[in-house]
Amino acid sequence: MAPLNIAVVVKFEPDLTEGNISYNSDGTLNRNQTKNTLGPHSKIAAQAAFYAKVKYGARISIGTMSGHAATNALQLAMQTSDADVLQLYSDPKFAGADTIGTAEVLKNGIGKMEGKMDIVFSGHRATDGETGQVGPQIAWKLGFTFLGNVISYDVNLEKRTIIAKRLLNLRGVPEIIQEVEAPLPVFIAIDPSYKYYFDTVSLRLAAEKYKREAFERAQNYKDYLQSFNCQELGADETLVGLVGSPTIVYDVQRVPKGKATRNAAVLDGSNPEHIRQTVKAIGEALSAMVIK
Amino acid sequence: MTEENYRHVYVIIEHIDGNLLPVSLEMLGEARRLFDNFNITYGSKEKVVAVVLGHNIKNLSKTLIEHGADTVIIADHPNLHDLINKIHTKVICQLCLDKEVAAKIEPSYALEFKKPRYMFFAADSIGRHLSSTVMAELDSGLASDVNRLVISDLEINHQIKTGGKRMIYKKTLEMYRVDFSGFLWTTILCLDNNNEKLSIREYSPQSCNIIPGAFQPIKPDPQRNGNIIDFKPKIDEDDLKIKILSQKFVESEVDFDSYRTVVGFGRGIQESPDKNIKMIEEFAKLLNAQIGISLPISKNVFSASPAITSNYMIPARVIGTSGRKISPMLYIAVGISGAMQHVSGMEDSQFVISINSDENSPIKDASDILLIGRMEDIIPKLVEEIQKQQPIIRVK
Repeated sequence: MAPLNIAVVVKFEPDLTEGNISYNSDGTLNRNQTKNTLGPHSKIAAQAAFYAKVKYGARISIGTMSGHAATNALQLAMQTSDADVLQLYSDPKFAGADTIGTAEVLKNGIGKMEGKMDIVFSGHRATDGETGQVGPQIAWKLGFTFLGNVISYDVNLEKRTIIAKRLLNLRGVPEIIQEVEAPLPVFIAIDPSYKYYFDTVSLRLAAEKYKREAFERAQNYKDYLQSFNCQELGADETLVGLVGSPTIVYDVQRVPKGKATRNAAVLDGSNPEHIRQTVKAIGEALSAMVIK
Repeated sequence: MTEENYRHVYVIIEHIDGNLLPVSLEMLGEARRLFDNFNITYGSKEKVVAVVLGHNIKNLSKTLIEHGADTVIIADHPNLHDLINKIHTKVICQLCLDKEVAAKIEPSYALEFKKPRYMFFAADSIGRHLSSTVMAELDSGLASDVNRLVISDLEINHQIKTGGKRMIYKKTLEMYRVDFSGFLWTTILCLDNNNEKLSIREYSPQSCNIIPGAFQPIKPDPQRNGNIIDFKPKIDEDDLKIKILSQKFVESEVDFDSYRTVVGFGRGIQESPDKNIKMIEEFAKLLNAQIGISLPISKNVFSASPAITSNYMIPARVIGTSGRKISPMLYIAVGISGAMQHVSGMEDSQFVISINSDENSPIKDASDILLIGRMEDIIPKLVEEIQKQQPIIRVK
């Protein structure tokens, strides 16, 4: 049995990178034309799991709730983390879920993974939804201690505890770095600034070995893939999908144009006189000569 | 459900060692404005309830009442000094469901009271997670990053919620949030399931976390009276194994505060990200300016060299509701369209110059000068002109 059992929950999201993203003429995202991929925050969660693979020899299981197209996100997550198992939770009954309906499916999914989990990782928030709610809600449903905004962590395998550093961002005060100790199991939402670091040569060599292993395993990811529908998960149909979601999207509208807070002088960038005028304004602004 | 089962708005107050965070008074201000109107519209006497957890914090009640709270529930306990999500979630849920607390808030509805009608949290590193876990425990819905709230009676016809029938949902909280593009406003509702063919379920409180800076506090009134409730929390011994070992304030990775000028760039760099960012870097250097970005840039939407990506396309440089609020003497927005999220982060700048190829770009309304054209053409000309006028404009 592995000394540490880890789950990572990931999300298949619109790919916002150049060449893959498509915008409508009004500046909004064209979802039909935009490709999907492993979300960038999910990738960081997979990297955090890889750290545990190298340092503690962890066993890693990855799960996602999505359609079958998401298997390429699972493949990428496997390549990033050297995961041992991939799980896809897919059922039309899951469609339209809000965060709590999604958390219910993922909680059940984690329950289907082999062994009891010591750490579950998720990304900070999805790039499209941007709520950051699903991670803490899974944690609560599992009864795990939730640690958000984690920028580094280490596990004491003997004591079965974790020490994690968190970066807290609160408007009105400087950023706070907090060091917290908690008994396992924990649920970690990993901060976007997380980067793993191996401080010994032997760990760096091990990391290279696991990266090669991950690359090879990911080529045959289908051999490690398990799929579950609602019934196979044993999920309560009244707690998932639209039926299990307290919230609905009632309306989507363009953000109304706010009242202009300034009355811009519109200048022509190809007109040398207007360039001179702009630079003069820069000088006045920095000399605090502008009276508004 | 009866109207009496769910009452009041509970506002979860945030503080650091007894010093209130600004968002706490902003949320109270909005709750006060909404409920003054609510109580007139519905002829009721529901309360704005401030909830504060911590240790040695009883002195906060006066400020919270002056800023709009009718009732302050104080949970003052040594084990609440450190903000530990698990412990705070349990205590908030205890006091939300406590009949004695309900009786002290409004004796006439003590027996009927089940849960709060609405709950407000802050959309920051504390409230975002706390709101999620509290709602997971109270079994209700949550909208995040909200910047507008409306209470109204809505006619709903929804396949799942109403089984395709028209129904009136009274006293519904319309929670508005801007999507990630910055251009769409989504209204989220938390609605009971009233579909007889599926499960009938009540979802209260209707709750949200609110973007810091989205609302204004009310003018404090020292004459306001309020009710203070001292709540005795029950702490699970097992949860005390979670320990904060240290906590320190740190300088932000990117310092905006000591710079008089900030140059921000956005999606307008797309034609040649590496080249354009290097050009902006030189421009900023000439003006002794710090460099910021709009939110989409932090999501690595453009491929650039590793050095450029790791230095500039990072969350710490984001200006806006998802990042920092800045107030330099001069802000120069390069290739930024001016989504509301970005504007709220730079609108306090003393003077704003925008460079944009679109004369109708929303950034115009937040600018003192809008220079029309491609950044690739304009910035070299500005650099040349600044060098000519440098003795006048260089400010250390």
